[in-house]
Amino acid sequence: MFDFVGKRKYFFGFSTLILIACIVGLIVNQGLNLDIQFRGGTILEFQMENSSFDLNLAKQLVEQEIGKIVSPQSSYSLDTNNERVDLLVLSIASKLTQEEHDKVVSVIEENFKVKEGTKPTPRAVDAAMGKEMAVKSIIAVAIAALLMVIYVWIRFKIMGGLLAGVSAVIALLHDVMVMITLYAVFRLPVNESFIAAVLTIVGYSINDTIVIFDRIRENSTLNKKDSLEDITNKSINQSLSRTINTALTTVLAVTTVYIFASYYNIESIKLFMLPMLVGLISGTYSTIFIASPVWVILKNYQAKRQAASKLKNA
Amino acid sequence: MKGNYGIKSILLILIIGVLTYISIAGLSIPGTEINIEKVADTIRYGIDIRGGVRAVLTAPAGIDPTEDQMNAAKAVVENRLDYQRVYDRTVLLEKANKRIIVEIPWRQDEKDFDPQKAINELGMTALLTFREVDTEKVDEYGNYLPLDDKIILKGNDVKKATPEMDTNTGKVYVRLELTSEGSKKFEEATERLVGKPIAIFMDEQLISAPNVREKISGGNAVIEMGNTDTDTATKEATSLANTINAGALEFKLEAAQIESISPILGKNALNVILLAGLVASILIGLFMLLYYRLPGIIADIALLFQIVVQVLIISSVGMSLTLAGIAGIILSIGMGVDANVIIYERIKEEIRAGKTVRAAIDVGFDRAFAAIFDGNITTLIVAVVLYVLGSGPIQSFAFTLGIGVLLNFITAIVISRTFQRTVSGFKITKNRWLYGVRGGSSNV
Repeated sequence: MFDFVGKRKYFFGFSTLILIACIVGLIVNQGLNLDIQFRGGTILEFQMENSSFDLNLAKQLVEQEIGKIVSPQSSYSLDTNNERVDLLVLSIASKLTQEEHDKVVSVIEENFKVKEGTKPTPRAVDAAMGKEMAVKSIIAVAIAALLMVIYVWIRFKIMGGLLAGVSAVIALLHDVMVMITLYAVFRLPVNESFIAAVLTIVGYSINDTIVIFDRIRENSTLNKKDSLEDITNKSINQSLSRTINTALTTVLAVTTVYIFASYYNIESIKLFMLPMLVGLISGTYSTIFIASPVWVILKNYQAKRQAASKLKNA
Repeated sequence: MKGNYGIKSILLILIIGVLTYISIAGLSIPGTEINIEKVADTIRYGIDIRGGVRAVLTAPAGIDPTEDQMNAAKAVVENRLDYQRVYDRTVLLEKANKRIIVEIPWRQDEKDFDPQKAINELGMTALLTFREVDTEKVDEYGNYLPLDDKIILKGNDVKKATPEMDTNTGKVYVRLELTSEGSKKFEEATERLVGKPIAIFMDEQLISAPNVREKISGGNAVIEMGNTDTDTATKEATSLANTINAGALEFKLEAAQIESISPILGKNALNVILLAGLVASILIGLFMLLYYRLPGIIADIALLFQIVVQVLIISSVGMSLTLAGIAGIILSIGMGVDANVIIYERIKEEIRAGKTVRAAIDVGFDRAFAAIFDGNITTLIVAVVLYVLGSGPIQSFAFTLGIGVLLNFITAIVISRTFQRTVSGFKITKNRWLYGVRGGSSNV
């Protein structure tokens, strides 16, 4: 039987290293690399000669030129004569200076067939998901976490209720931290995919933790005399094949999609699946190496305090 | 006991088979009105996956809205799209030029991909008014014409609108809960207008013009729907209530520029996602089969049920399926696999501990239930909170996840169990190998 709880300082140390990487990444890269939805920016529309142009190439060229996140789209509209006008639309996650604007225009004009005599129309836009929505979302997640703690509190009384809930939330925050580290260190664009990936991992992590806690709950009732460390180690070891198999199947699924996205060269889906993969591993890791040992520490601490206060009163 | 489970299992397999067939191939029975298209065609995919329409909306010439008014207009457009379950819209405010840029996905039944038509989905100003009318002046259809100067109530006098049905008469109506100021105005007007009609307009279109029978106090008003069939009336009532709840614009928005846009994820994204999803599902199915053997087959059938029903629900409510929504589906499938893994690992454990296969199955399901129950309820709580409080992608995620978790319960607890009970009734299935446990037959 592997001693998960006893070796906790290695795992806590490892997670602390990630936390440091997260903070360093955020400082060095000046926060997260927000995409146009969160930051606002400029939408540039070029009228093109025809509809065949390589969006990926446009993205690469412009990103190289000005170092901002660029999302390219193709589009068409009808002009006053009802004739089709093909458009290349670049959403750039930053307000552009005149110099940057000129750079973008010239790199596009050099490499693509822009309709002669036309100039691109720039539009400065605010964040679609601005502060208001960010605040709203954070409140929603906070309330969800609070209700989760209350539920665990009620259902896992034998594990000290509140302590179990708090441990589960700590594991959750751990996983969110790992994902933020990934985005901060590698400067991945933070957009709707980020929200989707983080939410998925939050859900996965909760479920994963609850299942192990269920086993601890069961073993606590069966073996009341055993120490918390023993009960926890036993529970983790007993459900190890479940943990591994579930992690394996989900990682298998996500990796499959990632491989397909790579093969067909769809950057956006790759950028969605990669954080998901990291998050899944973190979610599994945090259940065993964070949530359970943290619970043991909290529970032992509580027991000590209770014993101390009993002594005082006696 | 055994026979009972056998019949149930056969029924379940039939149902799952039919649902799977319908969602893959569609169903059309000649001579009847039943015509269901295959599900891949009836899902409204989000802009990120299938593309859509972008429009630049402005106030009409002559109106110069303030920044606050533009912000309010943006909020109304967003609300309205939330009510229509169009979660993946982008609504941008271009402050300098006082324009709103809206992007919405194509409708699921879009045939001609005409951007102009698509944008009409949000074309209305949604100005609800209760007006006094001149009973002398009617148009050619006998409808009252709006009198601009005699407005009794406006959209902002309404606190909440709910579609309801009178169970006795079957009449469908929208109940309006008025603000305190609105109730006062309504009370005063109904007192004054006993015996006369009050016309209810949405924008310039007359919805109904009921006669006032008596003074109405208490802050409630109703809008009765027309004499169409109940289904249509219910749909109309729901959409009207949603539009009222989303709030009214203070001025009409005009579409200055309308374009189609390509999928943000790239042109091929939808096909690649579908293909990758299929391959991933097959791989998971194979894993379950090879690792858990007999129960693996059962888990695969149960998971098939979960996925098919989830997709059918998403398609039938018409929500736009985006990356975030797909994430919700992936998570719920993951949890579905997990639930099965929990059960079968537990059964293996019990067999190893020396129980008979039959007893191990019973104990396994019982012991696994608590874990699955608590895991799913916690996730469901999260999904509900995010659905109620979130918007856009968060709501989209919460919606698919919530449905998935509910289905999870049914699948893991009811369907898997029924199948497992049935097959464990046969003698041959008592072999421990079939459950992935090493060594001979169980000590029955």
